[in-house]
Amino acid sequence: MRSRAAKSLTADLFAPAAAPAARLPRRTLPAQATPQPRRASRQLWYAVVFPELAGPEGEAALTRLCLHAQNFTSFVSIEPPNALLLEIRGSIKLFGSLEKLHVLIDTRWRSLGLKAQSATLPATLAALWSARAGQCVHEEAAASLASLLAPLPLSVCAWEEEPLQTLRAMGVRHLGELQRLPRAGLAKRLQPKLLTDLDIALGRQGAPRRAFVPRERFREKRDLEIEVEQVAYLEQAVEPLIGRCADFLRARQAGVQRLKLHLKHRDRPATQLFLGLASITGERARLLDVVVQKLGRVTLDSPVRALELISGTLRALSADSLDAFAGLAGQGGRDSAPQLVERLRARLGEAAVYGVCPIAEHRPEAAWRRVRELKLKSSRLALPPPLTGDMPRPIWLLAEPQPLSSPQLIEGPERIESGWWDGKGVARDYYVARSDSGERLWVFQERRSRRWYLHGVFA
Amino acid sequence: MPREATSLADILADARVWKLKDASAAPARPVWSTGRSSLDTRLPGGGWPTASLIEVLLDDIGLGEVQLFLPALVACQRQIGEPWIIWIAPPYEPYAPALLQQGISLERLLIVRPDSAMEALWAAEQALSSGVCAAVFLWLKGTDDRWLRRLKLAAEAGGALGVLFRPERHRYESSPASLRLLLSRGEQEMPCVELIKVQGGRPGPVEARDV
Repeated sequence: MRSRAAKSLTADLFAPAAAPAARLPRRTLPAQATPQPRRASRQLWYAVVFPELAGPEGEAALTRLCLHAQNFTSFVSIEPPNALLLEIRGSIKLFGSLEKLHVLIDTRWRSLGLKAQSATLPATLAALWSARAGQCVHEEAAASLASLLAPLPLSVCAWEEEPLQTLRAMGVRHLGELQRLPRAGLAKRLQPKLLTDLDIALGRQGAPRRAFVPRERFREKRDLEIEVEQVAYLEQAVEPLIGRCADFLRARQAGVQRLKLHLKHRDRPATQLFLGLASITGERARLLDVVVQKLGRVTLDSPVRALELISGTLRALSADSLDAFAGLAGQGGRDSAPQLVERLRARLGEAAVYGVCPIAEHRPEAAWRRVRELKLKSSRLALPPPLTGDMPRPIWLLAEPQPLSSPQLIEGPERIESGWWDGKGVARDYYVARSDSGERLWVFQERRSRRWYLHGVFA
Repeated sequence: MPREATSLADILADARVWKLKDASAAPARPVWSTGRSSLDTRLPGGGWPTASLIEVLLDDIGLGEVQLFLPALVACQRQIGEPWIIWIAPPYEPYAPALLQQGISLERLLIVRPDSAMEALWAAEQALSSGVCAAVFLWLKGTDDRWLRRLKLAAEAGGALGVLFRPERHRYESSPASLRLLLSRGEQEMPCVELIKVQGGRPGPVEARDV
């Protein structure tokens, strides 16, 4: 059996180009080809291509069009740069027939003023390619996929230019000619992706798609019975909103890292409060804590009539963001580390709370930086090995080196010469020095100007 | 029923009587070694007390004041579960390579730069009482007695090592801190340390050299 299959493959190489297309798939399909998944045939894909969309704006537009497409099916997948795929097998019964359904969807695009080409076939790529070619086929049956695709030009596949050129040099212009070529030889000459694509288009292989999920956010308004002028009352008023937001998040197993609170006034624009959380959370207590801290800093110019709470993008909670036990880690603890950090940030500002980390760099001023993204989870602490043998470094570093007159040197020198490549080159000799009042200083002499500067303090 | 003290044992049994010897022998909270044996022997429990406020008075920056606490910082990072170290309003930028050189894990170091002294005190109180910090250091120009008392209560609640750095002119003001030190210029790398107030110990200057 296998030897016969191999023989027929070699014979294929010299097969006449005019061989009937319908017979081809069976002959070119080698014995080890992926068996056709049964479920794939149950799906029916409606593909729509919008030739006018392109670039990043096109992708944004596709996201909006997804919301329209979701009127017809729950499964919509975005196919960059300018197409959508809709799984519509389940919707046919609801809308009556495939004919009615695809006309309805097509009408929707037309009513939006978009130029659209659509096709419906049982395989994802077959539908997409037909739509791109402008063939208006809408069929439920899978049997004729190969012959349907055969007359299409290769350009509908959206492959890269290089394999297309190779194929053009081989005299392959249409998909039918490509189907006719032997599989083993093609796999050697071209990228494996092309063969996979071809298998998907012919329905031999399933191609899972990722369904588009619309962005959700919590947004709720609460009108106050009386106009509130004092912040203390606002804290009470915002509590139920936070509670509902926490419920909303819990139901979706999600958390947020940003919140926005609008305080609406009668005759002036709303006061907007932006709240940041140190880590993704959906916990009521933490959300409330941040809101209360932020409200405590607000001065109300005019009375508040209504509150509106808007959440940022919902993020999935991971196992380590469920910090139910984090508060127990400290000794007599009432907080977890993220709680403390976000309370400090809510009152002092985002930039006022930060960490530091070293950078492998010889120039002292460039050897560190501030870190805003803190590792707040109680992971195992990587303890640094104590460095020895190096010249000492001071605990405090001055933001700018300050001029100094001939210091009393104790230790040194350590020559640092680096950075000539980025225009901020330094050539300095560093010493440990002692000031008149007994402080230990880190000083350097610039080698070119021979001037002395103070750069750090050993504290 | 009024009770009358009949003997010394009765008086000592009264909970209101504070016993110096007991306090120094068995402190309720862990202590962290200062890394200097001459200083350790002078402190009750043999090291920096946690869950209380330590006040360091000094006029110049660069006397080795942070150096005094570095062994304690390294030790507590290695031993406590959630060892956050928070520095509030430090006089200059803490230099990451130097801290790494001393063995401090920077992943658990937080720098806070408040706009005003009031904000700094608030941040210190939050950090001390949160229970997630192993050590909270605060640099201040001046403050009133009432705030220091709040800080002390917060430190007692959270169990952290609370250290407040202040100028020397506050020396003659009353302070609720359980330990007060005065730093001045020393001969060697280490500064001269004078204990102004030691709860459960004896004040006085500390030998410059380790015994």
